[in-house]
Amino acid sequence: MLDHSFTGMGFISVGLMGVVLLVILLPIVYRGAQAYIFTETIEHRRFQNEKFQRGDAQELAEEYRAVKAARLPVYEAIEKFEAKKREWPKDKKREFRSELKAVKKALHHLLGPAPGEKTPVLMRQQFGQTRWDRAQVKLHEVLYREDWVEDPTGQTKELVQVFVPRVDLFKGTELEPMFEYTEKNVELMLRPKLTFYWQFLIDRSYDAHFFGGIGPEVRGTLLLTLGAIVFAIPFGIIAAIYLCEYAKPSKTVHVLRSCINTLAGVPSIVFGLFGLAFFLNTLKLTESKSVLAGSMTLSLMILPTIIRASEEAIMAVPFAYKEASMGLGAGKWRTICKVILPAALPGILTGIVLSMGRAAGETAPIIFTAAVSVGDKLPLTEAFFAPSQALPWNIYNLCSEHEAVDSIRHVQYGMVFTLIAMVLLLNMLAIVFRARLHSKTKGV
Amino acid sequence: MNNQIDQKLTMSQRKIKMEKFINFCGEKFLLCITALSLITLLFIFFFIIKDALPFFQDQGFKEFFTSTHWYPSAAEPEYGAVSIFYGTFMVTLGSAVFAVPLGITAAVCLSDVLPFKLRQFVKPIIELLAAIPSVAYGFFALVILAPLMQNHGGLLLSSMIWLIMVPTAGIILYVGYFSLPDKILHKKPLALSLGLVGIAIAFFIIKAIADKLYGIQIDSGTNTLNVSLILGIMALPTIVSVAEDAVQACGRELREGSYALGATRAETMVKTIIPAASGGIMAAIILGVMRAVGETMVVWMASGNTGRIPEPWYNVLSPVRTMTASIAGDMGEAARNTNRYHVLFALALTLLVLTFVINLISQYVVNRQRKKLGK
Repeated sequence: MLDHSFTGMGFISVGLMGVVLLVILLPIVYRGAQAYIFTETIEHRRFQNEKFQRGDAQELAEEYRAVKAARLPVYEAIEKFEAKKREWPKDKKREFRSELKAVKKALHHLLGPAPGEKTPVLMRQQFGQTRWDRAQVKLHEVLYREDWVEDPTGQTKELVQVFVPRVDLFKGTELEPMFEYTEKNVELMLRPKLTFYWQFLIDRSYDAHFFGGIGPEVRGTLLLTLGAIVFAIPFGIIAAIYLCEYAKPSKTVHVLRSCINTLAGVPSIVFGLFGLAFFLNTLKLTESKSVLAGSMTLSLMILPTIIRASEEAIMAVPFAYKEASMGLGAGKWRTICKVILPAALPGILTGIVLSMGRAAGETAPIIFTAAVSVGDKLPLTEAFFAPSQALPWNIYNLCSEHEAVDSIRHVQYGMVFTLIAMVLLLNMLAIVFRARLHSKTKGV
Repeated sequence: MNNQIDQKLTMSQRKIKMEKFINFCGEKFLLCITALSLITLLFIFFFIIKDALPFFQDQGFKEFFTSTHWYPSAAEPEYGAVSIFYGTFMVTLGSAVFAVPLGITAAVCLSDVLPFKLRQFVKPIIELLAAIPSVAYGFFALVILAPLMQNHGGLLLSSMIWLIMVPTAGIILYVGYFSLPDKILHKKPLALSLGLVGIAIAFFIIKAIADKLYGIQIDSGTNTLNVSLILGIMALPTIVSVAEDAVQACGRELREGSYALGATRAETMVKTIIPAASGGIMAAIILGVMRAVGETMVVWMASGNTGRIPEPWYNVLSPVRTMTASIAGDMGEAARNTNRYHVLFALALTLLVLTFVINLISQYVVNRQRKKLGK
């Protein structure tokens, strides 16, 4: 009977792991994909045209004219209301002043600046909502006022959120029809259209990620990963060769091995502090944080992984290869270079690719050594000596330190999605290498 | 003629010496590069200690290790790190509670119980879980899980209880049912009704617990429970893969010997395999826990970063602050060569020593295991 219960436990534990993976990945993939594929509005097209010169300017101008015409009644209603308001007694005026202000602000959020208004400084105020899903939220803000009142059912003492239709607030005034009009014609005013915005991956961002893509972050992550791998590969492979082919079991080798193990266990944040204290404060590689310092720190961190993977790959090379090569008269070094390394290559590549994934996703070591939230785009030669944005750091930054966390959720999800996709792609690559390795050694 | 060939085939004494010397140099060069990891480790210790020392010289050890008042930025700064150690401890313990039972069960079952085909599916799941970057886990904890906990905390807790308890109860009942004495088991109606009573009792127990949890209102979604859950998930892959290796390393002979003695599969596992692999399983737990201790991003984003011991001390629904998160969070604000800067290095040193010791223990355990099995 215990047998069956063990089987059951096995299935439950495995099932739980699967569920956990799905629960974590699904929302990120689903909402992350929406950063690339979403329903854009006319404002997005306008922005793209203005900043990146995409799309047909003439067509857009025509479309925008139509949109402006559709929006006109809204602003006319406000004007009429304001004109009427001037004749009202003072206390009635005061009553409506803040309400009107709120409506205007919400409309500004939804549609961008009103005609005749001077261009605002912040870019986020120069355009209306670029995404249809955000536009829906803002439309709701135009139509309803959010209030916090005491619970009418009296169950709890906490305040409860209620939405008061603004139509009721403006009942009987010139503004009343405006709300219905906006609700009915918002599609005409924003022209939603499904789009595949692949340039999200390469575009630079504007105004604290309110607009544009995540290009600099992706570039920074790639540079850091590349740098880390370039530093780590030679040392890692040579160390593995030594440990496998040369080292005789002795005290030194034992100590070296346990050092590698210990290095693998050092917390990543300690690597970050070490990078700061050594590469930046002591060696003074660069004046401030830089990609160079960051990638060197990362390379130290992934070194043990590469050594272990390469070691395993070299060990897995059949002994017959070595004997055959030696038997043909090749020396030790030649055997290693011409026979063992090529045979172990898929295994070594697997290790390299996996550690690339780790380097790309690691945040703690680059916080103090490489990452910044905003930066200029530099040519490649200079980019290594300057700090850079990086996906992991900017994910943290956007979701916990950004001033308007809620309105750029799509960018955050997009970043996480991109990062996970990058790492998983590398892992797929590793799986492919491993499959090749299997087919190669099976033939022996 | 013979002499000529001899001359061609053998090198001069000098040449042989030269060759030997080059080989020797080459080998030493390789050794030097291999020693880089040793050097790195020494450098890490040296530089962390170098920047941590000024703090201890200035403030001494007493306050740091005994006080719970952590106000490094106050006008009269206090550097008591006990609450921070406690936060790390809580979070780590919590993650172990989630990860260890699940991980060990999964590892044992994967290697011995489940059909081979299923393993083909499970391996990628574990690899995916291991590959997801920590910041993505942190993002999940902060943006998805925390609001969920804050707004529907009771619902979440109670559904978690249902999810975990129902299968567990199912197994217990199943085993209990068939281990009833034969006398009862043969009388079908009696046995069945006993089973139904069991199901009813289990249902009501679970429901009572779940209902109690349902009433809980979680004030802040960024708390120990949230972080522990996520850290547990992150530690899972390490635990599963290391423990599975250990269980598999026990070898066929042990299993076959046990079967030959008439043990069932379950008996073999519980009485033979798990004790034999206990060292490796221990190492798996240690390594998994170490991942949770050293993890930065998840705790920084989702632990709430409140530097005091929760009230009461076992309250897992209140925010905490951990060592890693303190380092990551305060470094940006600390000016170089101030006490505030050095105290972070002191924290890092504590962390480093902690992981170093844990690592040595795990290596010791693994080596002992290897010797035991090699015998």
